[in-house]
Amino acid sequence: MSAQPVASLSHSRVQSRALPFPIAPWLLMAPFFFGVILFTLVPLVSSFQLSTRQTFGPEFSTNVGAGNFKFLASDPLFWTALRNTVVFTLGSVLIQLPLSLLLALALNRPNLRGRTFFRVSLFSPVLVGAVFVGMIFAVIFDKRTGLINRALHAAFGWDIDFPWLEDYVMPSLIIATTWQYVGFNMVYFLAALQNVSAELGEAAMLDGANAWNRFRHVILPAIMPVGTFVVLLSIIGSFQLFELPYILLNGTGGPQNRGLTLVMYLYQTGFQTGDLGYASAIGWVMALILGACAIGHRVVSKRGERA
Amino acid sequence: MPNHRSEQTGQPPRISVFWLVAAFALASTIGVLALRTERSSAARMWTFARLHYAMYVPAVEEWNKTNEPKVEVSLLGIQAVEQRMLSSFLTRKSGAELMEIERRIASRAFAGPLDGVGFLDLTDRLKAEGLDQKINASSFTPWSTRGRIFGLPHDVHPVMLGYRADIVEAAGIDVSKIETWDDFITVLSPLLYDDKGLRRTDRFLLNMWETHMDTIEVLLLQAGGGAVDPDGMPMLDNDANARVMAHIAAWGHGKDPIAGDAPYFSASGNRLLLEGFVIASFVPDWMCNVWRNEIPQLRGKVKLMPLPSWERGGRRTSVWGGSMLGISRDAENHDQLWEFAKHLYLSPELSRELYTKGDIISPVKAFWSDPMYDKPDAYFSGQAPGRMYINLATDVPPRYSSPFSLLAVERLRTIASRLASFAKAQGNATPESLLPEARRLLWEAQEEVMEHARRNRFITPLEGEGS
Repeated sequence: MSAQPVASLSHSRVQSRALPFPIAPWLLMAPFFFGVILFTLVPLVSSFQLSTRQTFGPEFSTNVGAGNFKFLASDPLFWTALRNTVVFTLGSVLIQLPLSLLLALALNRPNLRGRTFFRVSLFSPVLVGAVFVGMIFAVIFDKRTGLINRALHAAFGWDIDFPWLEDYVMPSLIIATTWQYVGFNMVYFLAALQNVSAELGEAAMLDGANAWNRFRHVILPAIMPVGTFVVLLSIIGSFQLFELPYILLNGTGGPQNRGLTLVMYLYQTGFQTGDLGYASAIGWVMALILGACAIGHRVVSKRGERA
Repeated sequence: MPNHRSEQTGQPPRISVFWLVAAFALASTIGVLALRTERSSAARMWTFARLHYAMYVPAVEEWNKTNEPKVEVSLLGIQAVEQRMLSSFLTRKSGAELMEIERRIASRAFAGPLDGVGFLDLTDRLKAEGLDQKINASSFTPWSTRGRIFGLPHDVHPVMLGYRADIVEAAGIDVSKIETWDDFITVLSPLLYDDKGLRRTDRFLLNMWETHMDTIEVLLLQAGGGAVDPDGMPMLDNDANARVMAHIAAWGHGKDPIAGDAPYFSASGNRLLLEGFVIASFVPDWMCNVWRNEIPQLRGKVKLMPLPSWERGGRRTSVWGGSMLGISRDAENHDQLWEFAKHLYLSPELSRELYTKGDIISPVKAFWSDPMYDKPDAYFSGQAPGRMYINLATDVPPRYSSPFSLLAVERLRTIASRLASFAKAQGNATPESLLPEARRLLWEAQEEVMEHARRNRFITPLEGEGS
């Protein structure tokens, strides 16, 4: 084990005599930096530049300054897409994550029989691609022939024409993504729960704390770093929602654009209407929102660490 | 390479991680470069339809025997064709020399200034060879923008109603009495069926819903409305659009609903057609082939009839779908590629294949006298669909493409849905009671799309702005 580092070290020392800094680490990192510059920084700068122009290919381009951003502010479709995305995000964070935590708490009990089976079953939907989830739920949500309406109609006389994908697009999307990701988030919580010291819980119990108080004052603070991380991941993932509504709503925003998300609007504007400048402006607004969320996460995490 | 042999330990020399990574990077780079395939000198053609591809392969082989340039035809998914086409136009890098595209995609190719359209302008060639007269006039309009034609039409695609003749005839109903949409409702309304007295209609007269944008457009075009005018500008706010939108909402959610939702192109929709959930559906010529393949159980149970018109003596058809063959502006050998395009699209052989294999009638008027179109079809209960569609072909309404088509159509989709919600809220809505709201929504949408149109500086340049 020790021969290799010694050899590399001596090699670096040889080089460091000739150069003011060791070159090998930089050379090793060069492909990464090259990739970051080429595929992240350059597109980032280009897209900002693009957001100030109206374009049609490289040949036809005109400067519009902040025109795209101004138009965005008064574009009702942009606001519809933003509202839908925020509603979906709230749905994901407020429904999906508590559900994931509940499942994690349930499946963390050591005496539960079939724990592994339940864990695998709940995690497995995440292995299904979003496109297939869209196709599956398109069939499930069908009005007359869909599984949900048929089953509920047979059981409770539910309206067999219940318009899931017409009047209840956002709840349908939240149901589908909850099915897909609840197990995925559960795994994060489960990992966090397994790191909570059992002694702390026992001590709290000896002090007379009931189950809720043990959860509130022992478990929750202990899993908070993972919790805030999962919230941030969910927010970012929710803002990127595209494939599922695209498939479920046949490439449109659905009736009255109830399923139009920011990324769908970006796609429609950039790749269907061909206005790459306007699409870049949408992308930048989205990046700013997500940047604000990341900063919020950082602030919350810092406070948690201090506490 | 430095020698890492340690004299003290006597261990064998070790290659540093750095050189290992470098060697791996070099090997993989060489590997990737070696995988590059050489581009053939043949002209490339993309098509999106399996049926078309199967028909084109023999015709292309025939062409390649004696002509240059050789052509290679490839079958791609419709979205792949769309994205590749847009990428090649946007970057001006070579895509395919020939592209067969579907109608909705065309307007995307027309989004920029006229001299930025990636397809070769065929207007002068068509006129010089008299093809603009030989081909059905309305077949050119989807491939035209700002007065110029960019594609050779593949089809006409008139629309009729396909109806459950077994159910209609069993009820002793004579559809020949139907001339207008009002007649349609009056004559067929005895077939509306309330299952088990649940006060829920279980058999509707028409397969039409506010979410079926394709069929909404069929009705709008039939009535003389649509999304964009011949100059390519949005024309949402007009009498025809308001009337049709009000009817669609009332048919679905009004006082006496007659329309049901059996989604087109889906297994659930096909099943509902089989169950007789709807009596009549919109059937363009190509849909005959879709039904034949996807719902063979309807053989001998369905018939076709011309669309009821919006007023007596009015238009009895409309149009749905369409394809064109375009030549890339950046391709070499425009003249030879033009000859190939004609060889492929305008030959009597292809016209026969198109009908016998795809139920699609040719846009070339001279071929319409072919007796194959008169052949009775057992699927459609002995009718001759080809002749029926041809009789309607010259009456197919024009539909125009423009950079604003997509935006305008999206707004129409939203209006249909909002008006349906309004009708539901009203409870006892009739087309007349919905008309003012339809008008208001159309006006709003028109203003909104015009805002986008005014923003497009390539089409409506602002004074003092250069490009």
